Amino acid sequence: MNLMPHQQRSGPVVWSGIIGATCLLLFLMQQMLWLAIPFLFAIILYYILLPPMQRLIRLGIGHNTAAVLVGWLFLLVLVLGTLVAVFWTSPPTESWQAMLGRYLNGGLAFLRETMLSLEERFPILHQVKLSKMVNSRMAAFTENFVQKHLTEILVSVAAWLPSLLLTPFLTFFFLRDGLRFKKFLARAVPNAFFEKTLYLLHEVDQTAHRYFQGLLKLTILDTAVLALGLWAIGVSSPLTLGLIAALLAWVPYVGSIAGCVLVVMVASTDAPGDPLAAYSAIGVFIFVRLLDDFIFMPMTVGRSLHIHPLITVLMIFIGGSVAGVAGLMLVLPLLGVVMVVGETLGRLITNPRLRARHRYAQALRMKQASADLAAQ
Amino acid sequence: MILGFLKPPPLSPRLLRLKDSALFATLTPLELKIVDGLLHERRYLGEEIIFDEGEEGQALYLIMSGRVLISRALGSEVEVVAELSPGAFFGDLALLDNTPRNAQARALDNCEMAVFFRADFMGLMETDAVIGYKISLALARHIGARLREWMTSGKSQIDAL
Repeated sequence: MNLMPHQQRSGPVVWSGIIGATCLLLFLMQQMLWLAIPFLFAIILYYILLPPMQRLIRLGIGHNTAAVLVGWLFLLVLVLGTLVAVFWTSPPTESWQAMLGRYLNGGLAFLRETMLSLEERFPILHQVKLSKMVNSRMAAFTENFVQKHLTEILVSVAAWLPSLLLTPFLTFFFLRDGLRFKKFLARAVPNAFFEKTLYLLHEVDQTAHRYFQGLLKLTILDTAVLALGLWAIGVSSPLTLGLIAALLAWVPYVGSIAGCVLVVMVASTDAPGDPLAAYSAIGVFIFVRLLDDFIFMPMTVGRSLHIHPLITVLMIFIGGSVAGVAGLMLVLPLLGVVMVVGETLGRLITNPRLRARHRYAQALRMKQASADLAAQ
Repeated sequence: MILGFLKPPPLSPRLLRLKDSALFATLTPLELKIVDGLLHERRYLGEEIIFDEGEEGQALYLIMSGRVLISRALGSEVEVVAELSPGAFFGDLALLDNTPRNAQARALDNCEMAVFFRADFMGLMETDAVIGYKISLALARHIGARLREWMTSGKSQIDAL
């Protein structure tokens, strides 16, 4: 009496729904970015702090106390780490605006020299005045950028900062009430769909867990390898640069390009007359990206989502066009979660036996509720 | 008397009922509390199907109150495998893997169940190996007892559980 049909792969209707729901969520997320960013950080912190909290519970400490203790301990470690970093590093001799200007000028000088050397080698480029054109475009872009966008970006970042204070609160409530919330959701599900829904909740949790854990591992690996490479070619502050480039790489494509530009700017400023330093930095960066794409990524994040590469690339483009940089960054974990929810819901809704069992349970409930009424 | 505060608090009626089950009998009060935090409560009406034969199993069910009938189809006939009462558990093979259920479970009366999800059990094995091994040992003993019973009686239906 095998009443349950075998598991079938989701069809085009379910997949269209999954992609549509992901786009809709991305659009909504972009409208509420002030909430989405602290929410994202809170989820990452939740997955970091959950194992130590479980250990405390095992030692006999209550659930709420364990959540409070873990939260305070994390804050203490963070404050101590910041204090150590502040005391150990020498104070900067120039303001950050001056430093940014210096590195920007260094990068532009490197670009100018590269254009000139290209013109020398290829006369056709000299004829089309490549160097002059690039210089004027870059000058126009930097002026326009500062005038138009930089103030806007700084104001929006300043507006986000207070909302980041939500992160510790959200993390605390995730830690304290996460399990209760899961049980609360499961309680609302009819008996016929209960096991499958539990599995769905577990899969969503696991997908998010694996993704964010993979992302953290990837960031640590990228930072270490890039810092080692930059240190080997003599670029200043290799660890800080490596960390910034690894964090920028969270944004697909755009982040990698921004990281590379940053590394080249620092390398060309450190050795103004030596283009080889900048070329070596580009070489190191490309080498690390290749390592990242072909070894680290499949080992960490790639394993977590099991999404077809074509859909991954398409969704990254769609995410970028729907929700900008935030869309690029969040489209993959969001797609992973929506995919699990969509596929499972598709299976539940299209399973005639489960629907029949649910209708039967409803009829029983109705019969029991009206049993004494029928007798009168 | 002086060290009275070191005595563990008395178990709640729910934890006592869990302790009565062979699956959790060896757990300490603290371990029982941790496991109880993972269990889901479900209520079934008499005649309601809990799971079907052939369905992919995800969870073990522990009967807190009421009775449950385990049956399976043999051609056009329905063979009753067992009738279970409070304290008994069924669907235990689902804790080990996600193979299809061997039998159908149906509530005979209005039932209250504690449901132990496989993923929670697997997570417990990783985060809390002591609880994990105690439950695994209880499970292995339960399956061993069923195997011995099957070998001595010659019945084949007991493996349906």
